[in-house]
Amino acid sequence: MIQAQKLYFSYTGLSPYVLENLDMHIKNGEYVSVVGDNGSGKSTLIRLALKFLKPTSGEIVCHANRVGYVPQKKDAIAAGFPITVQEMLVSYGRLLKIKDKRVAMESLAQVGMESFSSSLVGNLSGGQYQKVIIARALMGEPDLLILDEPSSGVDVESQREIYTFLKRLNATHGITVVSVEHNLDAAVKNSTSIYHISGGRGHFCSPERYAKEYLQT
Amino acid sequence: MLNYGFMQNALFVSLCISILCPCIGIFLVLRRHSMIGDTLAHASLAGVTIGLACNVNPVLGAFVFTSASGALIEFLRNSFKKYADLILTIVLSLSVGVAITIISAGKLGANADSFLFGSILTVTKFDMLLILGLSILSVLTLIFLYNQLIFITYDEDTAKVAHVKVKLINYVFSILVASAISASIRIVGVLVLSSMIALPVATALQLEKGFKATLLYSVLFSVTDIMLGLFLSYYLDVAPGGFTALVSVFVLVLVLVGKKLVSLCSARKKLPA
Repeated sequence: MIQAQKLYFSYTGLSPYVLENLDMHIKNGEYVSVVGDNGSGKSTLIRLALKFLKPTSGEIVCHANRVGYVPQKKDAIAAGFPITVQEMLVSYGRLLKIKDKRVAMESLAQVGMESFSSSLVGNLSGGQYQKVIIARALMGEPDLLILDEPSSGVDVESQREIYTFLKRLNATHGITVVSVEHNLDAAVKNSTSIYHISGGRGHFCSPERYAKEYLQT
Repeated sequence: MLNYGFMQNALFVSLCISILCPCIGIFLVLRRHSMIGDTLAHASLAGVTIGLACNVNPVLGAFVFTSASGALIEFLRNSFKKYADLILTIVLSLSVGVAITIISAGKLGANADSFLFGSILTVTKFDMLLILGLSILSVLTLIFLYNQLIFITYDEDTAKVAHVKVKLINYVFSILVASAISASIRIVGVLVLSSMIALPVATALQLEKGFKATLLYSVLFSVTDIMLGLFLSYYLDVAPGGFTALVSVFVLVLVLVGKKLVSLCSARKKLPA
């Protein structure tokens, strides 16, 4: 689903590189959590996969028919933007050429947020907001869901609901999930595989092995 | 008052800009770019002076130069990602520099002062047609790009994921801003033009409604501000632009006070007896 070969990236185009000689292959149907220290290049990697950034050298290819994207939560913009939940989803649907407003409501119902359709996005709690953004990402039936720190600014109960939902999406609908995670417990509990980035390079390991090697030290 | 031809022209142009300005303004304000309006208003003065110096219609001159300045802002955005406000200073310096140089060279075939403060006496039939054309074209483009603009404003990355041509639409939007500004300078004037773009939106935002409702309220406040400004300035014999800006601030304050009173009343109702 996502394949990177000899990937180098730096924001200046010169050494030192954020990502250096990175190889990665995420297969269809996987739930991969991308983990690493702050500034290790986790978000940069998915921004490269989404073509927001261009590699300095090497390549990264995404084979998805449709990508659903859950960006990092930006409180300042969401709080000041006068838009209702329904307006946001319907408007996003129009970008995907979805004319039927019911698709937006069905997507909201999937995350249990249909009763918030007329609420202003800026008035939602962190957890409610993130569920709405996931509902938006699911519009148009994506085969790949990319999330950037989905649990940041979200209460514990909502985190549990979000991860249960993501796990179910992956297991029952076969949607490939790639999630940049700082929540390592959630990464270990929910992923089928963990991609750990350190020093510009990454390696895959099983959640069990990751828990053993990194979490207990 | 409406028997006068110049007043009918002014009323027509005012109606056009009172619809156009908030439609553009809502996206500028929500992008935290309301000062772009001020910079491009100054760019339009440079366009006016170039137009007057070359014997071209000054509104047309303003449109061309303001569009170019809008495109320049968009272009410079890539070079000054971390200093967005610096871009405005660069374009402002260029525009004011051009305007002052041409005015001080004494090469103008007419007086540019009316464009600084706004005037209802100078609106010609050609201006009316040009402003009507620009307004219709701009509103139609806005309707066509409505969802794309919402998402570019709200979350540019998500717009890119949905295959929105963000760069292209940003350039188109900068031309829309230019057309709103060049349509407005005749009546409102360069100095207070940004208030027409930002204040009705600022007032509508206080109502805390959804996007469509905020846009409609912005237009409603804009029509109210500009019509009141136009009629009262006629009777007070002052420049319509400056007085419209005052009316806009007054309406904003009125809404803020009203909102405060409503929240106080509802808080009192909730208190136990």
